[in-house]
Amino acid sequence: MLSRVAESLFWMSRYLERAEDVARIIAVNFQASLDAPDASQALAWEPVIAITGDRHMFTAAFGSFDEASVTAFLTRHPENPNAILSCIGRARENARAVREQISREMWEEINRLYHVVYGADVDSIVRNPYDFFSQIRNGSHLFQGVTDATMAHSEGWEFIQAGKYLERADKTARILDVKYSVLAGNTGGEGAPLASLQWIALLKSCSAFEPYRRSHSQLQAWRVVDFLLLDRTFPRSVAFCIEQTRRSLARISDSPLDRPSNAAERLLGRLYAELTYLDIREALADLHIYLDDMQHKLNAVGDSIAQIYFVPSVLPPTLAAPSRYYEAQQQQQ
Amino acid sequence: MGDLFNGYSTGEFFDEMFAAPGQPHPHYQRLYERLGELSRADYDERLRLADIAFLYQGITFTVYSSQDGIERIFPFDLVPRIIPQSEWQLLDRGLRQRVTALNMFLHDVYHEQRIMREGLIPADLVLGAAGFCDQMVGVDPPGGVYIHINGSDMVRDERGRYMVLEDNGRSPSGVSYVLENRSAMKRTFPRLFGRTGVLPVEHYPQALLETLRSVAPRGVEQPTVVLLTPGVYNSAYFEHSFLARQMGIELVEGRDLIAYDNRIYMRTIRGLQPVDVIYRRIDDAFLDPLAFRSDSTLGCPGLFNAYRAGKVTLANAVGTGVADDKAIYPFVPAMIRFYLSEEPLLANVPTYRATEPSDCTYILQNLDKLVVKSVNESGGYGMLVGPHASAAERADFAEKIRAKPRGFIAQPTLALSRHPTFVDGHFEGRHVDFRPYILYGSEITLVPGGLTRVALRKGSLVVNSSQGGGSKDTWVLDE
Repeated sequence: MLSRVAESLFWMSRYLERAEDVARIIAVNFQASLDAPDASQALAWEPVIAITGDRHMFTAAFGSFDEASVTAFLTRHPENPNAILSCIGRARENARAVREQISREMWEEINRLYHVVYGADVDSIVRNPYDFFSQIRNGSHLFQGVTDATMAHSEGWEFIQAGKYLERADKTARILDVKYSVLAGNTGGEGAPLASLQWIALLKSCSAFEPYRRSHSQLQAWRVVDFLLLDRTFPRSVAFCIEQTRRSLARISDSPLDRPSNAAERLLGRLYAELTYLDIREALADLHIYLDDMQHKLNAVGDSIAQIYFVPSVLPPTLAAPSRYYEAQQQQQ
Repeated sequence: MGDLFNGYSTGEFFDEMFAAPGQPHPHYQRLYERLGELSRADYDERLRLADIAFLYQGITFTVYSSQDGIERIFPFDLVPRIIPQSEWQLLDRGLRQRVTALNMFLHDVYHEQRIMREGLIPADLVLGAAGFCDQMVGVDPPGGVYIHINGSDMVRDERGRYMVLEDNGRSPSGVSYVLENRSAMKRTFPRLFGRTGVLPVEHYPQALLETLRSVAPRGVEQPTVVLLTPGVYNSAYFEHSFLARQMGIELVEGRDLIAYDNRIYMRTIRGLQPVDVIYRRIDDAFLDPLAFRSDSTLGCPGLFNAYRAGKVTLANAVGTGVADDKAIYPFVPAMIRFYLSEEPLLANVPTYRATEPSDCTYILQNLDKLVVKSVNESGGYGMLVGPHASAAERADFAEKIRAKPRGFIAQPTLALSRHPTFVDGHFEGRHVDFRPYILYGSEITLVPGGLTRVALRKGSLVVNSSQGGGSKDTWVLDE
């Protein structure tokens, strides 16, 4: 498989997962904000921006943290690279660059999804958020299903899995980080009913509410953290995602799980071991520091994968994009 | 019946479908009856479904003039063009003859140059052609083949006679639409197919792959074939990825390739892997910055040396542009007689060359009747349709022709055949052409079909997608 192709498959998958995660976070917040008093509206929407990590860009373009501004910023603000439209657009551009490698069904689905998002305007999204964000979530799920069912489960597929799970691990860690700091110390007294609604919203942001309920009868802060971080069977927990990424990389390099053959595999193995033997109380001592460190390590895994598989061993001179772009258009008879 | 055909007029043109109003040619009878059963609403619905399918499958070309890179679907007309077997036989034999002669011509101009020495074609015309590549002199491409894939544009005159309008021997595009249009028609009119005897075209990618494998460098038993694309910004990128997928080969960009010791390799996640045959969709000038344009970022440095050493095949070969130069085109019938000692089976369109003083005078005096073409442009650019042009445009072209006669040819404005085409709720005649694809490897292969392009603007003679053209499925019948 060409290095360029592997890179495109990996990023196609990451961007689509990112779009889905952003969509889920906004959708859940719409639901949760219905239960919140009017005065706490800004309180409800501000953390959403914090999760995507683009606070400066937001405050530069919008005056207040209301639902319309946040929705506009996160769905299709042209300068926000993490807006849903931008993510799906880039997922599609990557898919287009490897169109002969993916199945026709995959391409049709990602292309259809792009046209859905491209055609939606912010007013109608705010009027009917449920429909719009369901379409994105369903589109992403459909894409994953179609990928599993129509593409050979060989190297290319493993790069798609690695991209998806690495992105998901990062997003779960971020959601937990931001929401937990808002909620911590707010679990008893007068704010309790509102707080428990927020805990539910946090779980729902990760599609984790029902799975959590099935394994825990009580809604407790440490149990929620434990579940989202360490659960072995829930497909959005950080530990689960790291394990899947690790397995995909091992299959790509064709080496046993306990005999890592490159830096990315070693990093993932250490992360996995750490989570496996973690005492949750250690993490809770300062969860923000712990999750911040986790995100740095996940970034290092991504860089390492790029070094091993995507960067050509002999570098051609890098030339400015516009000239490639211009030349590429000309070749036609 | 035939509601949608009410008021259809064939005009003074040869009509592909109708011998006279209400009287279809025999090979269109069944289609005519089927369309007659459709109401306007039925037809609209089918067209809408076909358009949505094209959009969702991304069968689009990109219009780059706007910042957004707006994607448009290549307009698709649901009424197929039908070619009976007897007509196809003539086209098939004529095109085989033509591609053979063009290949012999290319071998000749890059070796002995007999045709020039014997005075059949002026040497300065050949050597001065923009497509003539002096680095190719004496080079022997693997298998001795130059034009592996040829797309000759065919038109029909007012009597229905087929003529070759031009040859495209560099890297003709459009074949993906042949396959996608067919697949759209099968979805839209499933019942029509089984009963009509339409010959399949779906094996084109397989035939192309076999052609490419058959011209691998000597001694390579299991060649690795790749398709070299300029990248996603190219308007034909859809086709490149489509063909690569259908053939099951890697779609590579120049930056994926590297030359080492006169061999070409691609960079993979497991290191370098050798490449034997490159179906390239990049112009000659951009192939290799060491041999041609040094500012090219699309090619692979060292590729041309490896090619000259016979270690890799390029399809089409480098330097084929001299054979589809529009000023060389008038000599193709002479080539056929010279190399094959046969009479040409397909006629050329009469052509005036501005380099001939008498022709040039005639062109300048009759600009309002002629179509003037720039010899090296394609895609409908650099062209003057005299009768439809303004006085100012004609004056502008006259100036250009006087300044550079080698750059222009002129042809009479043809009364191109028309085909019923769905416009604003009913059928109207629109001018069409036809591009079949000829594959030349260890043998010559034609897939029965091709791309019928239609000039959607009323009265327009220009069928290119960039100039408001659309396309139709083309059915070659088994009888």
